[in-house]
Amino acid sequence: MSHNDPPNSYAQSKKSLRTRFRLSRLAQKELKETLRDRRTIVTLVLMPLLVYPTLSLIFKTFLLSNAALFSGGEAPNIRVVYSGNASKEEADFVFLRIGEGIKFMDDKAAEKEGALRQLDDPNGTEGSQSMGSGLRINGFQTEELSEGFPPWNRMIWQFISEDADPSLIDYVESGEADLGIIFELNDPTGKKFGDFTVVSRQDAFSLAAADHLAEQLEKANLADREFRLRMAGISTEPAVDVDRQLIGQTVEQTSSSAFPLASLVPLILVLMTITGAVYPAIDLTAGERERGTLETLMAAPIPRVGILVAKFIAVLTVAIFTALLNLIGMFVTIWVFQLDQQFGGGIFDFTVMVQIFLLLILFGAFFSALLLAVTSFAKSFKEAQVYLIPIIILSLGPGLMAMAPGMSLDGVNAVVPMVNILLLARDVINNEVILVPSFVAVISTLLYTYLAICLAARIFGSDSILYSGDGSLAEMFQRPMRANVVVPLMATLFCLVMLFPLNFLSIGFLGRMPAETTAELSLRYLMMGLFTFLAFMVLPALVARHQHTRLMSGFGLRRPRVVFLLAAVLLGISLWPLVMTMIDGWHVVYGFLFGSEKQDQWHAKLIETTSEQVARIRMVSPLVIVFAFSVIPAFCEEWFFRGMLLRSLLKWNSVWKSILISAMVFGSFHVLSNSVIALDRLLPSTLIGVMLGYLAYKSDSIWPGVILHSLNNGIVVFLAYYQPTLSSYAWFPGEEESIPRLWVVAGFVVAATGIILVRYSMRASALPENSSNATLTSGDVL
Amino acid sequence: MISIHNLSKTFYAGRREIRAAQNVSFEVAPGEVFGLLGPNGAGKTTMMRMILGLLKPDQGYAEIAGHRSDRQPDEVKRQVGFVSAAAGVYQWLTGREMLGFFGEIYGLSESDVEVRVKELSSILDLADFIDQGCATLSTGQKQRLSLARALIHDPPVMILDEPTLGLDVIGSQVIFNYIDILREREKSIILCTHRLEQAQRVCNRFGLMHRGRKVLSGSLEDLQKQTGRSDLVEMFIDLIENSNVAPVQQV
Repeated sequence: MSHNDPPNSYAQSKKSLRTRFRLSRLAQKELKETLRDRRTIVTLVLMPLLVYPTLSLIFKTFLLSNAALFSGGEAPNIRVVYSGNASKEEADFVFLRIGEGIKFMDDKAAEKEGALRQLDDPNGTEGSQSMGSGLRINGFQTEELSEGFPPWNRMIWQFISEDADPSLIDYVESGEADLGIIFELNDPTGKKFGDFTVVSRQDAFSLAAADHLAEQLEKANLADREFRLRMAGISTEPAVDVDRQLIGQTVEQTSSSAFPLASLVPLILVLMTITGAVYPAIDLTAGERERGTLETLMAAPIPRVGILVAKFIAVLTVAIFTALLNLIGMFVTIWVFQLDQQFGGGIFDFTVMVQIFLLLILFGAFFSALLLAVTSFAKSFKEAQVYLIPIIILSLGPGLMAMAPGMSLDGVNAVVPMVNILLLARDVINNEVILVPSFVAVISTLLYTYLAICLAARIFGSDSILYSGDGSLAEMFQRPMRANVVVPLMATLFCLVMLFPLNFLSIGFLGRMPAETTAELSLRYLMMGLFTFLAFMVLPALVARHQHTRLMSGFGLRRPRVVFLLAAVLLGISLWPLVMTMIDGWHVVYGFLFGSEKQDQWHAKLIETTSEQVARIRMVSPLVIVFAFSVIPAFCEEWFFRGMLLRSLLKWNSVWKSILISAMVFGSFHVLSNSVIALDRLLPSTLIGVMLGYLAYKSDSIWPGVILHSLNNGIVVFLAYYQPTLSSYAWFPGEEESIPRLWVVAGFVVAATGIILVRYSMRASALPENSSNATLTSGDVL
Repeated sequence: MISIHNLSKTFYAGRREIRAAQNVSFEVAPGEVFGLLGPNGAGKTTMMRMILGLLKPDQGYAEIAGHRSDRQPDEVKRQVGFVSAAAGVYQWLTGREMLGFFGEIYGLSESDVEVRVKELSSILDLADFIDQGCATLSTGQKQRLSLARALIHDPPVMILDEPTLGLDVIGSQVIFNYIDILREREKSIILCTHRLEQAQRVCNRFGLMHRGRKVLSGSLEDLQKQTGRSDLVEMFIDLIENSNVAPVQQV
């Protein structure tokens, strides 16, 4: 350093700093660091080199053992169900005749083999083998040889009438039968027996069985041709192609194509992509923190988000490399082992490969962001690994879910992370992409990626994480010394997480309770109320006590001003027609997104389940209904969502953000707890959640919300309860009619009045307000 | 150049309340080396993190070249070269790559970086290993590289948190000699160290911290007058023996 340097020369060039600083430079450094690490290279290169050949060997063995099933020996029989446009007797007659043809061909093949053997051994005994099958050809026409049905090779037959329930498809799908044949028989005097459609499942056995069946049918075709030629006195050489259409056979698979490859390929690729991203994600966050370089980086004048995004780019790049190498590895393996010929599927198509690659990039982006959010939380490499193992195992769940036969990319599936990408990849391989749900899948994954990056940016390098406590269990459960005005956010989140298993527990418990008589049903509904009470009210109250929080302030129990109670009543009686209209609207949107067929199915299912529920409800006394469906849920849910959750959120977030988050949690909880009417309720419940949140915020109390909530719930349930009586009045809409427009307008006007009342009333002031300097320090969190 | 106003920070670890800093104030002028001294757990590192804006203080603020670290952390960071006890070097990069990277982060052009690296490498004797991967360097080499990294943008302010941790006598001598040079260059320096003899030689003024509180401060003469002891080591021993409160936990 020379002494004539102007002092601070570099520091003073700060104005141009922002322009000079380039994100790419930061990402480059992260990438350089990762790629020079041999551990990255191991997962990147070695894994595909080892995994795919191993997998393909397993596949080969699997295939061979399946093939053995149909090449004789003590193989299991194939269970076939058949159904079609004729009676059992007529159908049996036709199948019997086809069976004779098959037998004829088999015998002929055996004779030919014998002849060949004699040719090999010219000195051997000359057998009389002059087409002794003439007789059999005759038999082919008669029932002479029908010593027991079925005559076909190793098949057990079961007839199912055309309109039976369960249907033939159900039999095959459930695995009770291996194959189904839907026949459409022609006039028995005609040349052609009829058309047969073979129905198979997507598993290897069923597929192989279908091949076997097709082979048999082909034999029958050949036999028939030979027979006809002989009858016409023509040589058996196939000089002329006589009606080859005896059995117009098409193998139709119930859904898409070959099972393993189309569903398995995306799953393996996705899992491998994850594997590639795991190591750099840990290394660049927790690892860097452990080595002490993170603090140096944080001491540099670059925004935290910039550092995180650079790390994200680096992790994603490695993930993309991994995806590419895996794709190539898989491609080569499939080619070398000729797996494509055995399983079918369009993996070899170049555009398919490109599309799969793009999907992997998309998924890689989502998962990299998720990984970074988790690893940013960890203090050391080891800790990060501990967090990641459950995540990877959990991600196997959606992975396996997407492999289940019969899954399609629609409805909820289109927005479930990982499941949607896997299904979309499967559809790409099968060349069955449907535009709208695919679009939904891509957009939702992009959205999740964005959210995960935001979350990671918030966690990454926040001082509460960088310099937090020892991370011990004791630290987590220790009671804070100071009294809290509201329940700390961490404790609230704990309650929220606990609601999930508690909910399953209650569903399971209630499901086991008898529900036949009125008394049993009443008891069950009251138990349901009790569970709600325990999960939403008792548990949060206990946690609040543990956190030194007074119920009055922690849950907003103070008496509200009268104006808010009035607004709550107005809103409580007026929201339901709006909600119902919204649900109708959603059905239209659903139809638009996924096709009218799906919409009808959905609607039918909805009507079925709701009418079932309503029928049950009507058995019980109205008093029980008031408690179980209106008062208890309203009070308990307000207690938790608007009391504990909203007030905790308000302490660290802006007003609208808190209201929105609590409303979304509220909305999704209604979807989770009542899976059948799932998506219908998401939007209305969330919007009502916003309404309730706003009301609770303005009034600084949960009581107006309790009134609104119980009125709304009560009206909806009692409209259904008294529907038969009400319908007898001329002015009341019938069972399946939609609500009159006038009611909707009236509901809107009253609700608007309520909202205006809330909007222009002064806010009660004691609710904790977001203060600008409040930060999430370790003390505040725990 | 540096002025610290009533910085306070309390950590909560479950039931325990750890007061890492309580109303600490001091100032450091250009050309001055301020020795922030104290036993382990006195709250020195917390102070440095708050000064840099890495940690939000509960109360008070630090100001560097007119910028408050809680309001304009990026402006503050630009003025500061920071060396921490855990010599953070990127093990898969070479020394030159690392210096280049940080140079660019601090907004230097490529040619500026080149000039700077040349200068620093001759002063801190990096030439032998600057093109080696950092993973292969010795502790002393790493620490010198770390110092070069903190100086790459020639900041007016240096914050050195135990820069000689784990170094041998010669190694720390190099560092302390360089601190002397920096002082001559009119830098404002905050130095945390346990090498009290060296500190006594290199620092103009001192702040002795204990349990989050600044107990003593001033020049060596001031301290000698206040305590009646002649050197820092004796003052230290007095400080620790005269109190029985638990020290601040390391976080």
